[in-house]
Amino acid sequence: MANILLSEASGTACPGELPSLRLRRTWSNQNYSQFNWTSHSPDNAEEERTEEGDTDWDLREKPLTMALKRAAWQVQHSQAPVVSNKDSWKRKKTKTFRKVKNNSRELLYVLSLWRKSLQKIGGNFGGGVQSYFVFLRFLVVLNFVSFLLIAAFVLIPSIVFRSVESSYTNSTGPEGCRKYEPHPPGLVLFYNYFLDLLSGTGFMEYSYLFYGYYSNTMVEDRDFSYNIPLAYLFTALFYFGFCLLCIILRMGRAVRVAIATGGGDVGNYSMIVFTGWDYSCLGDQATKLKQKNIHYRLQVDLEEQRIKRKAAALTLCEKITLYSLRVLMGILSLGLICSAFICIGLATNFSQENSDKEGILGLILEYLPSIVITTGNFLVPLLCDQIAKVEKYSPSNTVILALLRAVVLRLLSLVVLLYTLWNQITCGGDNKSEECNLCQYNHKDYPCWETRVGQEMYKLTLFDVLIHFALLILVEFPRRIVVDHSSSKLARWLGRQEFVVPANVLLLVYGQTVVWTGALFCPLLPLINTIKFICLFYFKKITLFYNCQPAHKTFRSTNSAFFFLLVLFIGWCWATAVMVYSLAVIHPSFSCGPFRFFRTMWSIIPTSFYSLHQSSQEFLFFVGSQAFLIPVFVLAVVGLCYFISLSAVYGNSVALMRLQLKREGRDKQFLVKQIEELSKKLHIPTHNTTVQN
Amino acid sequence: MGNKQTIFTTQQLDAYQDCTYFTRKEILRLFYRYRDLAPQLVPLDYTSHPDVKLPYELIGSMPELKDNPFRQRIAEVFSEDGEGNMTLDDFLDMFSVLSEMAPRDLKAYYAFKIYDFNNDDFICKSDLEKTLNKLTRNELTEDEVRMVCEKVIDEADLDNDGRLSLEDFQHMIVRAPDFLSTFHIRI
Repeated sequence: MANILLSEASGTACPGELPSLRLRRTWSNQNYSQFNWTSHSPDNAEEERTEEGDTDWDLREKPLTMALKRAAWQVQHSQAPVVSNKDSWKRKKTKTFRKVKNNSRELLYVLSLWRKSLQKIGGNFGGGVQSYFVFLRFLVVLNFVSFLLIAAFVLIPSIVFRSVESSYTNSTGPEGCRKYEPHPPGLVLFYNYFLDLLSGTGFMEYSYLFYGYYSNTMVEDRDFSYNIPLAYLFTALFYFGFCLLCIILRMGRAVRVAIATGGGDVGNYSMIVFTGWDYSCLGDQATKLKQKNIHYRLQVDLEEQRIKRKAAALTLCEKITLYSLRVLMGILSLGLICSAFICIGLATNFSQENSDKEGILGLILEYLPSIVITTGNFLVPLLCDQIAKVEKYSPSNTVILALLRAVVLRLLSLVVLLYTLWNQITCGGDNKSEECNLCQYNHKDYPCWETRVGQEMYKLTLFDVLIHFALLILVEFPRRIVVDHSSSKLARWLGRQEFVVPANVLLLVYGQTVVWTGALFCPLLPLINTIKFICLFYFKKITLFYNCQPAHKTFRSTNSAFFFLLVLFIGWCWATAVMVYSLAVIHPSFSCGPFRFFRTMWSIIPTSFYSLHQSSQEFLFFVGSQAFLIPVFVLAVVGLCYFISLSAVYGNSVALMRLQLKREGRDKQFLVKQIEELSKKLHIPTHNTTVQN
Repeated sequence: MGNKQTIFTTQQLDAYQDCTYFTRKEILRLFYRYRDLAPQLVPLDYTSHPDVKLPYELIGSMPELKDNPFRQRIAEVFSEDGEGNMTLDDFLDMFSVLSEMAPRDLKAYYAFKIYDFNNDDFICKSDLEKTLNKLTRNELTEDEVRMVCEKVIDEADLDNDGRLSLEDFQHMIVRAPDFLSTFHIRI
């Protein structure tokens, strides 16, 4: 057979004419002509030859049997290459380039973090759960790179300069503002070290962990000058910019996928049927589960259809009752969320007022805001779920609404916490009030307010990790043991835990927002967060494999990637707002930190600006002036319009082509009918062929 | 790298490398997997192109395939004789198409063949019903199966002939972002 193919192939003038090869099975030629031969049609073969110096089209992409492919390969390689030196050199270069590309791809593949774990998770629990762990891995890498950035530009120079020089220039400012005693005198009991570790006070307060320890050293040698405050500020700004870039790049990738697939609603059933089965699913258990999963998804979709039909068939009276009920429930859930916020505000105030208590009670009071936030974020969604049962939205709308409520609750609770804190620090924005009159911030309660804010963020992060660990040990493992080994009604009702992806992702976003908010005041927070997220990865993986059953309700992993990144972006925006406020509005502490001489943290930039060389100053002035910015802005707008119109044109062409396909199908049907009628009229026997092109 | 193996000639290995998405190491590893299914049937020397076919029962018992409800169709589509009995060539071809690096169009082509149970180059209602039953382990009711089949043909059939042709299928696959990751077997 191969000989026949060889002779046929060598007989043809141009090896690109594959359709002339006979195929073994009963596949009609028509199927092959419809296959995507686009880059290898005869008219393109000329270009191919000149491009690659050889008709070395990719055999692997052809849907031929292996024997045919090998025969074609034989043909390719048996032809004596009559090419010039230049062409053969080009051919060799392309081959080596391809080899290098493949090798580097393999290397990256091998080096990527936790690849095997992610594969195992995806195979056993599906794409939705895997997307959570992929997101977690992204955050780990982001935090680690940020820590390297901060370490290189702020931490290491600080350590070096602190060990070299020791002079502290006297700070300016009123005497009363400069008092700051991070090490209270007296005996320090042993267990205080442990308490200090958990709350960031004591020996941890005056350390590299917090803002207060960094000094405003400005080293100037003969050829070398390093300005620590400037470095601190620029590192913080660059850190935020870098995170934004990463988020946008990933969002771009997710958006491109979402647009190409035209959203999730179109073709829902065909998607499930043809792409729902995961071929890499291994094991009898997993297969049965996957089948149940697909069954459930189809049922959910059919159920939604039924609900839509029922909703459309409601009488006016029923509609009014339903909508008014929904409005009422909406107000109720809003009320619940607001009450949670009020509790958080009160708890923060109470905790700050009683921050001088000692011992375990003091510790609990310190952690009161975190405790209230966590409790609120646990209770309120639970209650909202019950409310949702009354609201009777369709299943997909219910999920979206629950997610929205959870996002609002999580992120705004952080807002409330910080707002309360800020109010206390700046005496409610009132500079003339008794406490804030002297130093423009409450110097009695907050001699070094940046460290205080950093401590709050540190406590939030630490509490998060401790709560996860405690839940794992005290709730999830016992639950599984109870459910597996007892057959009481309670156990059956409880069931094994399910891994709920959206709630867990919100936890991650919350943790990352806390870190971004606190990074300016606690430079080592990204490192702590990296360690925290690595621990979280392993905790969650353990709980997934030992305690959870695969969720029956799947979470679509394609749209969700974009959604996670969007929520992360909202968190970033909030953290930026906080940073801008602290940089530009509040007066830095007089007693600690690298900015103690400046009116605001931002004002170091104008001061150092004037120490630059004259031509650099002029260049920067020019870049900031209107003569430069306005043309740049106009160009950017023009570019944006171009891309928008381009995408609109593509969308239009796609819609037109789809319409064209439909019309052609209808034309085909019409013509066939005409042929049948004609042949009946003329009594010509027609052969029963299926419609071919 | 020294050419220490004696199973294939260099030319054969190069041909396999160019015709599949596997590297030399992976091709040899796959050969050993193929041989492990029936060591007495598969010789260790393929330089003389022996004509060895493993019956479907052995292929279907591989751990990667044995729980897949479509394993029989997969074997039938990729085998020479259409019955599921595979030579080494078919074996390599199958795992190459199902590997990570195969492009979407190639996978869509073979997926279409797999779901086309009666081999008439169209996915008609009966093919869809069989696919659904395999997917959900026969747990959907008759009514539900009928409704889902109608919906699928509604959504994907562009030329309105009541069944899905290859273009309809490929057109639908273009809009499915999960397809590349689900139509993938790791070996």
